[in-house]
Amino acid sequence: MNLLPILVFTLVGIILGFALLLISLLLGKKRHTIRKYDIYESGVNPVGSANRKYDIKFFLTGILFLLFDIEIVFLFPWALTFKDSPNKAFLLAELAFFLVLLVTGYLFVILSKSLDWEE
Amino acid sequence: MNFIDFSNPFLQLAIKIIVVLLVPLGTLPLIIHVERRGAGFIQNRVGPNRVGPFGLLQPLADVVKFMFKEEALPAHVRPFFYFIAPALALLLALLPLAGIPFFGPIEISGVQVFPEIFRTELGILYVFAATTLGPHALLLAGWASNNKYTVLGSIRACAQMMSYELSMSSVVVTMLLVYNSQDFHVMSAFQNNTWFGVVPMWGLFMQPVAATLFLVGIFAESNRLPFDLAEGESELVAGYHLEYSSMKFAMFFMAEYIHVIGLSMVFIFLFLGGYHVPWVDLSSVANFVPLIQVASLLGKTALMIWLFIWVRWSLPRFRYDHLMKLGWNVMLPLSLVNFVITVFYLYLV
Repeated sequence: MNLLPILVFTLVGIILGFALLLISLLLGKKRHTIRKYDIYESGVNPVGSANRKYDIKFFLTGILFLLFDIEIVFLFPWALTFKDSPNKAFLLAELAFFLVLLVTGYLFVILSKSLDWEE
Repeated sequence: MNFIDFSNPFLQLAIKIIVVLLVPLGTLPLIIHVERRGAGFIQNRVGPNRVGPFGLLQPLADVVKFMFKEEALPAHVRPFFYFIAPALALLLALLPLAGIPFFGPIEISGVQVFPEIFRTELGILYVFAATTLGPHALLLAGWASNNKYTVLGSIRACAQMMSYELSMSSVVVTMLLVYNSQDFHVMSAFQNNTWFGVVPMWGLFMQPVAATLFLVGIFAESNRLPFDLAEGESELVAGYHLEYSSMKFAMFFMAEYIHVIGLSMVFIFLFLGGYHVPWVDLSSVANFVPLIQVASLLGKTALMIWLFIWVRWSLPRFRYDHLMKLGWNVMLPLSLVNFVITVFYLYLV
């Protein structure tokens, strides 16, 4: 597997991004007013800072996503060996064991109401 | 005409990179124009029609305006991350396109040449990994702007994209079972077969449930209506790109549309036959096969993008708790059940 092309493409992408940033930095003219550089909050004076506490559900979603997505990614190699396998019954038993674990975790998440957004 | 040596791998790489950059960036103004005229058509109004014939020069005028607008740097942002976020968004939207083949492998002076920039047998795995990097740029933009609306918009977008990625990955596993390969070329060849010589063996007809789930997933993944809670203008004004002006705003816009193009192409390779043309035997025009395949893929992509536009201007927005509930309580179990049913079907056949 040759990784050089993707490296070159990434580099071209980065250069393109910075070129576009530079264009408006050089061409746009500047007129300084104090209000323009203020925090935008629908036209009223800003209240409080953006570093406030946000709902824990967002972070729980992130953590649960990591767990479940890794479990599903484990199925990728399994799925690619299943069709041509001489011993399908064994692979099926493996999958059943794996899915029992996955579904147990899923049921725990649903029943413990970790992702219930209604208050 | 052999004074240019096309078998040189570096020349091939240069051509591929230029084409892959030009196709999305070149068609972008057209897509945006079609979107605005389409929105006008759906909402029974005219849309932009003054600049040039049929308003076709409007996108060009917009680009010029974007370039000459003031580059405002608000006082409260974190400057370094504020500047690299739009560049990162554009880069992450372009990366998946490197793994997508526009036509089948061809032969140049006896050597098999693949059209994708990054040739790997793990095609779908690479493209899927690259598309799901998207939330990083949104999170960075929202956090660097240091504004309540942008932070809320970006973490909303992130939680939503992650929730729908779960069902999308299980759909991909199901399709891997069907095609028995991660290679886009193998998938396309598989879908080129037909049932009884009439119905093409597209993923859409073999796995309708999976296709529906994946279609909903790409709408959620690209933050388009009815899933654009990240922007929700009645609540967050514009979401994560609220504090961005001039070209930096345009770059987020471009990144969103390129993301839509990339995801549509993945959908086409999984469910709509890839670059193949159904029912037609191309062996009599062998020299033009790559061109016909490119036209087929881009035509299907254009139809997908019209679907995106159509849905955007037809459906209202979800409520956030309904959206998360749909992702976790409906789509994830449904995609796993569909996976298990597919496994049993393949076991019994």
